[in-house]
Amino acid sequence: MKKTMTFSVVAASVALALAAPVALAAKVPAGVQLDAKQELVRNNGSEAESLDPALAESVGANNIARDLFEGLTATDADGKVVPGVAESWKQTDATTWVFKLRKNAKWSDGTAVTADDFVYGIRRFLDPKTASPYATTYGIFLVNGQEVAEGKKPVTEVGVKAIDKYTLELKTPYPVAFMPELVSNTQLGPAPKAAIEKYGKDWTKPGKLVGNGAFMLKDWLVNSKLVIEKNQNYWDKANVQLTKVTYLPVEDGFADVKLFQSGENDWVYQLPPGTYEKYKAELPKDIRNAPMLGLRYYSFNVKDPLLKDVRVRKALSMVIDRDILSSKITADGQVPAYSAIVRGTAGADVTTYDWAKWPMAQRVAEAKKLLAAAGVQPGTKIKFTYNTSEYHKKMAIFAASEWKSKLGLNTDMENMEFKVLLKKRHDGDYQIARNGWVADYNDATSFLALIQCGNDQNDNGNCNPKADELIKQGNLSKDPAKRKQLLTQATKMIMDDYPMLPLLQYTVPRLVKSYVGGYSTKNPMDRYRNKDLYIIKH
Amino acid sequence: MWSYAFRRVLMTIPTLLLVITVCYLMLHATPGGPFDSERKISAAVLANLQAKYHLDLPLWQQYLYYLKSLLQGDLGASFRYADWSVNDLVANALPVSLAIGGGSLLLSVFIGVGLGIIAALRQNSIVDYLVMLIGNLGSAFPSFIIGPVLIMIFAIWLKVSPAGGWNDFQISYMVLPMALLTFINISTIGRVMRGSLIEVLNSNFIRTAKAKGLPMSTIVFRHSLKPALMPVVSVLGPLAISSITSAVVTESVFSLPGLGKLIVNGAANRDYTLVLGLVVLVTVVAVVLNLLVDLAYALLDPKIRY
Repeated sequence: MKKTMTFSVVAASVALALAAPVALAAKVPAGVQLDAKQELVRNNGSEAESLDPALAESVGANNIARDLFEGLTATDADGKVVPGVAESWKQTDATTWVFKLRKNAKWSDGTAVTADDFVYGIRRFLDPKTASPYATTYGIFLVNGQEVAEGKKPVTEVGVKAIDKYTLELKTPYPVAFMPELVSNTQLGPAPKAAIEKYGKDWTKPGKLVGNGAFMLKDWLVNSKLVIEKNQNYWDKANVQLTKVTYLPVEDGFADVKLFQSGENDWVYQLPPGTYEKYKAELPKDIRNAPMLGLRYYSFNVKDPLLKDVRVRKALSMVIDRDILSSKITADGQVPAYSAIVRGTAGADVTTYDWAKWPMAQRVAEAKKLLAAAGVQPGTKIKFTYNTSEYHKKMAIFAASEWKSKLGLNTDMENMEFKVLLKKRHDGDYQIARNGWVADYNDATSFLALIQCGNDQNDNGNCNPKADELIKQGNLSKDPAKRKQLLTQATKMIMDDYPMLPLLQYTVPRLVKSYVGGYSTKNPMDRYRNKDLYIIKH
Repeated sequence: MWSYAFRRVLMTIPTLLLVITVCYLMLHATPGGPFDSERKISAAVLANLQAKYHLDLPLWQQYLYYLKSLLQGDLGASFRYADWSVNDLVANALPVSLAIGGGSLLLSVFIGVGLGIIAALRQNSIVDYLVMLIGNLGSAFPSFIIGPVLIMIFAIWLKVSPAGGWNDFQISYMVLPMALLTFINISTIGRVMRGSLIEVLNSNFIRTAKAKGLPMSTIVFRHSLKPALMPVVSVLGPLAISSITSAVVTESVFSLPGLGKLIVNGAANRDYTLVLGLVVLVTVVAVVLNLLVDLAYALLDPKIRY
């Protein structure tokens, strides 16, 4: 394989290797005066389920994990891959990546971060005994990763090796072009073996946790607050401005806003539904809203007697006016979506439908024709399932009214608790169900999981073997451009099966005090390390 | 009386066992499990997780396993808060709930009883109407409306109080939630006290006392208060439990790290052990409080003997 490496891979790796180094965090623009007090309070949306990077699953827990730990790489405020513990990296052949670790990277207890710590961390992450919820999600990108997570092979078989103290080699089962981005996830980062073995399950508690991130754990009161302080042993501490950050676990959006208004919180995690326009007018300096790699959609159950006909699914998708949905119904800056891939995703282009550009009357006429051809009479009942929430209800009522007024279909709306919906969706016990997805890493495959044959994330039961073959070919391809073309083509083919009804691309409407510097609205993964933030004099 | 108390305590054991069993079965019968999430985990990962938490065993074995750890005082590991044991979580949340719930209950007993007495003595006067108006407002407006209004006024406009949160029993963080709970409790206690005192004041022995020419203060404080407190004591038990555990809304509005928050998150996340642990706790508290209420009857009413 080594010898057949194409020029483009070499070029790409060289480009990556060149582009990689010299990234300084918290670059404070010239002329900006820093506040004497570099302290930030940011709401994290919910309590972290764990501070163990191998066990962190929720967005909130991973936000904290990226402050306490640092992987081989990291992403900056613009979502760009920057060096983490690794100062440079190279794809030495199609399935081998070599990372050179910086020699000055230290754990918070002062010991050096070495390649062995990464080997230990990755093996521990995949070990069935650790039971990480992400084990197979990321495990599939390493040789034997899946087998190790499934307990079929010993952890020593996984494709990670310490070449020497500061050189780490990762082997992938097929070319993984986005490896540098993938290893910014702290699940694939180092773990502090000594502390874990000394304290066992309690190693993530204040006073015991040893990390290698820009911050260290000071205090953690469940459902109250989690306080981190600047890590004086961090290799890049000169570029860390914040001295103390308090994460709040406030779930109630209105309570969150009140804390913001009273000055006890600098960062509203997410504005409550329907309040974006109001706060945009009231607090224009603090409002921030940017699209992220997330998709709101409805799943079609293709095994359902009514929906098994692709014409019915197509008709249902065609008549939903996404423009009105985004501008009038949700009214929070989200953009219409017509594909499983959203804007800003690497590795594939956003596909669309021809009819997306048609006038609505033409779309309705075509949809009616499709329904008639499929033998679906006006007055037919469809069942829509969603989890109880004002927001989802509002969208569902809009969808139902579109189906009613344009196609004459009657929708039964059934709401239920979130866990019950999840169970029904996973079991295929629904007709049309509300759904949503946020990418785990910035690559098309993170979204393609939703529509690939037999994938755990595929709730719709659809399988397009030809498209699946293209995805497989694309993933095996060593040429990023070729891969992109194949994945885009596959997406288009599957989307023509209408296994889902894409609605909107997520945005994160939030309030961040205008004096919080370093916040970028070009961060598609919505990942902000506190390392990149600073407080402007105010 | 002591043997009565002892028997009552012994009787809690079958009660507790029944509550645990029913709750256990209900939790496991609820659709969706602790590991269902938007991103479905693979079968292998699910198996790993179930093995880690002993959920791969047959239900009856899990049940026995739970009872065994419970006997050793171990409430198990939490699923939702994976780094913490249920014991840790309860130990952290209970003091918060006790401080807010217990403190507000104590306040509302004094204020509620006082207002009830005033209203009863000035029955159908403007004072009575005013007191009853406050009482009715407290029961009419739900806490999720009063709470945010209090925050709006005192935290955002006047800036004299934090808008929420908890800071190691610092009094400023406790004032608003306690005020809210007190306000709601006063309405119940005040109304019960008023009605009960009016009834007592109209009874024959009070008429006799009045005929004997006793001063009003003696009639009220020495002769009427004790019998009039009986119904108040009866509502105190349930009120105490609800102040501590159903403070779900208050805790959410004021972002407090109490038991209510744990119950809601535990139930929503199918955190079996956390919910069971809290149910055990609430059951024990309920049994103890009911016992105390019953014993208090004996102090208030000489006709009651155990």
